[in-house]
Amino acid sequence: MSKEMILMLHPTFGVLAMIAAVWVFVEALNASDGNIARLRRVSVLATVLLWCAYIVGGYWYVIYYGGDKAIIKAGPWPFAHSLAMETKEHLFFTLLLLGTFLPIAAYGDVVKKKVTRNLVLWTSALVVLMGLAMEGAGALIGMGVKVALLAKLI
Amino acid sequence: MTTHQTDMTDIASAKVTGYGISYAITSILSALLVILKEGNESVFQLMVSLTGHHWITHGVLDVLLFVVLGAVLSSRNITVSGNTLIASVVGSTIVSGLIIAGFFVI
Repeated sequence: MSKEMILMLHPTFGVLAMIAAVWVFVEALNASDGNIARLRRVSVLATVLLWCAYIVGGYWYVIYYGGDKAIIKAGPWPFAHSLAMETKEHLFFTLLLLGTFLPIAAYGDVVKKKVTRNLVLWTSALVVLMGLAMEGAGALIGMGVKVALLAKLI
Repeated sequence: MTTHQTDMTDIASAKVTGYGISYAITSILSALLVILKEGNESVFQLMVSLTGHHWITHGVLDVLLFVVLGAVLSSRNITVSGNTLIASVVGSTIVSGLIIAGFFVI
């Protein structure tokens, strides 16, 4: 598999994880005996997808990012590395842990305990918001490479 | 007519509470570790030497701390009100995000 394909898998898994987290949020809004099993299955799916995004993205970051980093730092948008990438690579741990906590909360008594249901709502919402931030940061990093390469051509 | 009644007790189960607190603590410590390793070359090099890359070591430490702390806190049946638990999870997410982003902005 080419390194570009590996890179594309990272945001793909991320978007799918966000969709799953939105699904969990909606199921939690209407939590009942009828949908609790589905809510829990989807919460596990969201976690698995987040871990896939982490492993694939982490592999690409450790093995291939050095080249892009050098290009970005020499270009007109060095903050795409010094701010966007540095923040993204470290904040991802928080998102990963939050995503791992989601099914733990979902396997609590979501139907009968309001506090557990609210916790699932907050956790899934935060996973979505942080996921969007990660996608935005990823776009900035990609643009950082692009403007640096374009600057070389001019 | 619903088939269940909502339990208004403002306390989540021991497992949910334990891992919720564990998440809050781990996310803050993870953000502080960013400042520590980026500001201290010897810490950074130590983390590199453990797994070959500082980021891999950081991730392993975070996951280990979350799992171990969660297991320990769950077994202790800690009682925390629901609002406090939710505030801890949400607050630690915001604070850790501000610590990390703020560090790299400055």
